[in-house]
Amino acid sequence: MKRMLMFAALLSGAALAADDPKQRQDLAAVIALQGKPCSEVMSYVVQADNDFLATCKDGNRYRVYVKDGRVVVEKK
Amino acid sequence: MMPPRITMAALLLAACGTAAPPPTPVKEAAVAPKAAPAAPAKGAAAAPAKAPLPAAVKAAAAKPAATAPLDLKSLEQRLKETSAIGVLTKLSLKNQVDDLVQGFRAFHEKKQPTLGELRSSFDLLMMKVLSLLQDHDQALAKDISASRDAIWGVLTDRQKLSTYQ
Repeated sequence: MKRMLMFAALLSGAALAADDPKQRQDLAAVIALQGKPCSEVMSYVVQADNDFLATCKDGNRYRVYVKDGRVVVEKK
Repeated sequence: MMPPRITMAALLLAACGTAAPPPTPVKEAAVAPKAAPAAPAKGAAAAPAKAPLPAAVKAAAAKPAATAPLDLKSLEQRLKETSAIGVLTKLSLKNQVDDLVQGFRAFHEKKQPTLGELRSSFDLLMMKVLSLLQDHDQALAKDISASRDAIWGVLTDRQKLSTYQ
């Protein structure tokens, strides 16, 4: 039953908290490349495919996503 | 859509080991100090503590570049495979490279962004690339650093730039 619920949550597109250090570094690099302040990404949530909500150590939060082949960083 | 764009990104970084055109004389002074610390000094008599010898270092760096054939495929592969940069970062860099190349195309057509402005963008982008690579893929960082002038030469040459669509 539990497994079914988890699977259903996945299918429904619910945001997933994740903690892959490589991904955190990747997000931090992207944010820095766009010239936005973020000393370090502490955590992030996967909102959809190539769509992340990153929380920085300094409290800044950014939505990082890909649109039309471009990486967009939006302050939240 | 992706492959040609990636190829263009590869082109910029490609000049590592590609036919190196003679760098624009005006910009040499600005570029030389940044490229100097890289390894090409191996062939030349190295003077580590002293001021760099731009002519000797440049000659050493340009020598292999002048003879090596342009191999975009392998470079593209190298960029794709480097684990020093994450996927999103690669895509973001590619976006910025594409923007810069657009800037150069506009410059060649209507001289709109000045060469000085483009040089600043170029230097900034180089700095970004090198800072991303230097800790985890030093070989690639070194090659890019050593081929700065060659990359600049391709970008500022309308004919050469038009070869890479």
